[in-house]
Amino acid sequence: MTEISIATSVPSGPGPLIGSQPDGPPKVVVRDLNFYYGQNHALKHINLSLAANRVTAFIGPSGCGKSTLLRIFNRMYDLYPGQRAEGQVMLDGHNILDPKLDLNLLRARVGMVFQKPTPFPMTIYENIAFGIRLYEKISKSEMDGRVEKALRGAALWNEVKDKLNASGLSLSGGQQQRLCIARTIAVRPEVILFDEPCSALDPISTAKIEELIDELKEDYTIAIVTHNMQQAARVSESTAFMYLGELIEFGPTNKIFTSPNDRRTQDYITGRFG
Amino acid sequence: MADMAVESTGLQAAAGPYDRAKALSAFKFGDAAFYWTTRACAISVLLILGGIIISLIVGAWPAMREFGISFLTTARWAPANDPPVLGALGPIYGTLVTSVIAMVIAIPVGLGIAIFLTELCPVWLRRPIGLAIELLAGIPSIIYGMWGFFVLGPFLAYHFQPAMIAIFDGVPVLGSIFAGPPSYLSLFNASLILAIMVLPFITAISVDVFKTVPPVLKEAAYGVGCTTWEVVRSVVIPYTRVGVIGGVMLALGRALGETMAVTFIIGNSFRISGSIFAPGTTISAAIASEFAESDGLHQSGLILLGLLLFILTFFVLAAARLLLMRLEMKAGK
Repeated sequence: MTEISIATSVPSGPGPLIGSQPDGPPKVVVRDLNFYYGQNHALKHINLSLAANRVTAFIGPSGCGKSTLLRIFNRMYDLYPGQRAEGQVMLDGHNILDPKLDLNLLRARVGMVFQKPTPFPMTIYENIAFGIRLYEKISKSEMDGRVEKALRGAALWNEVKDKLNASGLSLSGGQQQRLCIARTIAVRPEVILFDEPCSALDPISTAKIEELIDELKEDYTIAIVTHNMQQAARVSESTAFMYLGELIEFGPTNKIFTSPNDRRTQDYITGRFG
Repeated sequence: MADMAVESTGLQAAAGPYDRAKALSAFKFGDAAFYWTTRACAISVLLILGGIIISLIVGAWPAMREFGISFLTTARWAPANDPPVLGALGPIYGTLVTSVIAMVIAIPVGLGIAIFLTELCPVWLRRPIGLAIELLAGIPSIIYGMWGFFVLGPFLAYHFQPAMIAIFDGVPVLGSIFAGPPSYLSLFNASLILAIMVLPFITAISVDVFKTVPPVLKEAAYGVGCTTWEVVRSVVIPYTRVGVIGGVMLALGRALGETMAVTFIIGNSFRISGSIFAPGTTISAAIASEFAESDGLHQSGLILLGLLLFILTFFVLAAARLLLMRLEMKAGK
């Protein structure tokens, strides 16, 4: 990892604001999705698709349902009784809401990075190897290679290569978050969900993560929930604006941020509410 | 109206310094009284503890002088002899064996219940099971003793032990562990009752500490595709290890010292037999069953037994502390 400056993270790669391609073959297609917390109708008739190898950002005021939507993509809501989803969420043409679906396999294909860094209570090495070991039996040397590759992929290798046996909890917040990203990509998912990954981080760590997201989309389909509209504009090709459980507007990021169709989108991105 | 308000605040301000100092000095007295009262409460614990230790040592002194270190190595308990022969090996052996068996049974079951309650249990079943555990903890130990005597004892003697003998007869070590005539009163019966009695401790504490695991950490583990078992093994248990061990040690302390139920069902025999289905005794059971009719050297010997139990429990707790400290250092906290 060389020097980072916040400015480089914007124009590097296909700059989202200057005519990038938001379309591509859809990886995930959501059709008429409804979600309920008990009696509370939290998501209403959502239709959208995540393009493969693109970054899709979800913005909207707190409580609009964007995190809820994200947690449907890996069925995380299944852990909690009383929460249920109706409709279709097709991942490569298969409905992931199918109750017979193997959740562990789904979550291996759809990885998630959380708002707060969540290293497991074990060493840095084990944090990465742990996820790999769930699916593959590989030798120690192969595992070393996979761990290094994942840490390099998350731009963390140079900072931790001399202390792989230190506790994952001993790292700084930004490093912990990159460790979590490394852990996620180590199991070779197809889709990565970021749930406000930078909200607990300082600006420099945030810039590193954003740059990383830009690199990751070469291999993965990415969905990111963020409260930071500049971040959405910087990292994503498509943006979905949600409000009160509804998808208000969904389209190319530069269109959403320059000439939105809906009055509420306009109001939100110009800071009139939210 | 406004004038009056101004006037009154003026008055208060004028009288202020005097009143405030007086008020503060009253507080000062209250503060000092509060400090000394709480301090006395805290010190009383040390005094009580010290007093108990001293009176135990004083009471045990005649037996210590008479038997010395052979008290620990003699397996014979004959207070009626002249001169009396007192050896604590039998009770010590019984105490350790019953506690170890009880923990071997209670730890997996207790943790299993706790994991089921926190991770897997459907919501409607959570309260009934939790309530049952609390009730289990609330049953007086004498009730456990009677149940062990009238229900568990016969079952063990006539069904469980014969089955074990049938299976393990002739096997070198296991054969002798289960050997012997059927008896209601046995080390194993006491161990089972102890296991049931300490189960609520382990479960209740484990449930409490399992609940402290941040949901997002568990979600992260599920998020890389862990099954519930893998989440529990790799995230929940490591995260809560210190608390779980604390609960286990508390339970062990209880098992070592439990008296009434054990006295009922262990048979109070000072002989050491290799079989866990033979009667035996524990330190506390020996004291409880003999103390009322003892005097002189016999009584001093029983007090020495009590001192031994005190020391044993102390070392268990100290070992637990040490273990926790080392675990915490290893975890890099």
